[in-house]
Amino acid sequence: MMRSRSLRFSKTVFAFSAIFFNALVQGQELGPGLQAHGFISQSLVYTSDNQVGGDSDDGLAADFRELGANLSWRASPDWLFSGQALARWAGESDRGDLRLDYGFVDHTLLADGDDQVGVRVGKIKNPYGFFNTTRDVAHTRPGIIMPQSIYLDRVRNFFLSAPGVGVYGNHAGMIADVSWSIGAVRFDADDPSLEHLFFLNNQPGKFNGETSWIGQVMSDIDGGRWRLGLTLADVNMQYQPTAADTELTAGRNRVRPVVLSLERNSERFSITGEYSQAKHETRGYQGAGLLTSGLQNPNTIEAWYVQGTWRPSTDWRIYLRRDEIYRDKHDKKGQNGAVPGYEFINFAKDWTLGVRYDLNAWTFSAEYHKVHGVFWISSQDISLFDQKEYWDMVLLQAAWRF
Amino acid sequence: MRRLAIGLCLFLFAQLAWCVDIIGNRSVSVDSLSLASARSIFGMRQVKWPDNSHIQVFVLADTHPTHVALCKERLNLFPYQLRQSWDRLVYSGMAQAPTEVGNEEELINKVAATPGAIGYVRKVKPNDAIKIIAIQ
Repeated sequence: MMRSRSLRFSKTVFAFSAIFFNALVQGQELGPGLQAHGFISQSLVYTSDNQVGGDSDDGLAADFRELGANLSWRASPDWLFSGQALARWAGESDRGDLRLDYGFVDHTLLADGDDQVGVRVGKIKNPYGFFNTTRDVAHTRPGIIMPQSIYLDRVRNFFLSAPGVGVYGNHAGMIADVSWSIGAVRFDADDPSLEHLFFLNNQPGKFNGETSWIGQVMSDIDGGRWRLGLTLADVNMQYQPTAADTELTAGRNRVRPVVLSLERNSERFSITGEYSQAKHETRGYQGAGLLTSGLQNPNTIEAWYVQGTWRPSTDWRIYLRRDEIYRDKHDKKGQNGAVPGYEFINFAKDWTLGVRYDLNAWTFSAEYHKVHGVFWISSQDISLFDQKEYWDMVLLQAAWRF
Repeated sequence: MRRLAIGLCLFLFAQLAWCVDIIGNRSVSVDSLSLASARSIFGMRQVKWPDNSHIQVFVLADTHPTHVALCKERLNLFPYQLRQSWDRLVYSGMAQAPTEVGNEEELINKVAATPGAIGYVRKVKPNDAIKIIAIQ
C-alpha cells in the first residue's frame, strides 16, 4: 500500500515537474496566444482529535499538498482552449491521483464593447459561491482551508467540475459589472465520499450522475467595493445497487442549493459572507431499514460563514472567520436519526484565526481552528465512532504559483 | 490672490493625481474608453476591440508604483482586487493573464510593437510610438 502510494506520488511529481520546468524555462508565455500557469502547496496539519488531511490526530500530518498546471491557447479573439491537470493529497479521499481538473473550448458568440456572451463545452469548473472555481489554488483561497460550510472538502472532487455545456455573459455597466453563467452538466457521482455523506458509509453500489443544472449571477459594484452573488443548482444522481447491497435498493438523490454571496472591500479591510440552504430529497428507496427510512425524510442543509480580513500592509493579511453548517436547518442540535451521544456528527461550528504573508509568487500561512461538531470531517479518514465533539486544529502552509 | 494660489495648487495637485496615462498601439481604433470598459479590459474580461482585433494587455508588477496608481487613480479599485480577478479567471481557464513586463520602458516598447496592445505609463515622451487612450 505504502509502496503503491509512493510510486503514484513519484509519477505525478515527475509529470508535473516536466510541465513546471518547461514553463519556468520559457516563462508563462510559451508562444503566440499560449500560456502556462501552475501552483503547488504543502501543508502541515495538527488536530487535537479527529483527522484532517491525513494522520493528524495528536500528531503532524505532512501529506496534505496540491499540485496543478494549466495550459491555455487563444487561437483567435473568439476561441480559447483551456485545460488544467491537478493532483491533491489529503487523507483517504485524495491520494494524489492525477486528474483533469478542467478541459474545455470557449467560443465568444457576441462581443459588443461592454457586453460579451459566449459558450463553453467540455469539462467546466462549477461556478458556486465566490471561490469554488479556484478552490485548489492556495493564493485564491480565503484561508488555508476553505470555509467548510459552503465549500465542503469532503465532497469537493464531485462538485469541483463536470462535463457539460455552459453559456456565460458579462456586462460592464457604469454602476456595476454583472457576469452570469448557466450550465447543464452531468457530475461524476461515482465517488465514495458522496455515499459517506448520504449513507454514512460506503455501500456496495454506486451513484451515477444525471443531468444537473448550475447557474450564477455575480455583480461587482463600484469597481468591486461591493460584490453580490446568487448561485442556484439542481444536482441529480441515481444510486445503482449491486447484488451485495443488503440495505439499499435503487433510488435517486436530488440536492438543490441556493447560495447568497456578499463582500465589502476597502483598501485595508474586507468582509466576506456567504449563506446557503441546500434541500436534499430522495425518491425510490424501498424498505423499512434504518438507513432507508432516514433517507425518506427530506432535509435542508443550512450553512453560512462570515470572514473579516485586515491587510495591515500589501503583503500581510490577518483574518477571523465564523463558519457554521447544519445537516437539517430544523434540527440545529442534530438529534434526528443520530445515535445518542453522537448528535455532533450533524453539525459543525468553527472559529478560525489566520495570518498570511505574500512574498512575490510565494505565500505562507498559519491558521488556528476551534471546532464544535464534525459534519465536515470525512468518515473515510476516521470512523464515525472515533470522532470527538470538541477539537482544535492548527495548519501551516507554504504555496507557490506561476 | 490667495484664492487664486489655492486654486492653482489644487489644479496642479489634480494634474499630478492623474499622471498615469493609458496607452495603446497605434493600430487600436479607439481613442477613449468608458471607466467600465477600461476595468473590463484590464480585468481580462473584454478581449476584443470594436474592430474584432484581439486586445493584448501589458502590465507592471502588482507592487510597482505605476500599477498601484493605475488601479487607484484611473480604474478606481485596489491592486489586490485586480490580482484576485485575474487569478479567478486564469486558474479556472476562463481567460488568460495579462503579460507582465519589468519596467515602463519595456512596457512602452511592447505596446508600440504589438498590434492591439494596451498598457499604461507615468510619462509619455513625444517620440514614443504609441497613442494615448482617454478614460471618459
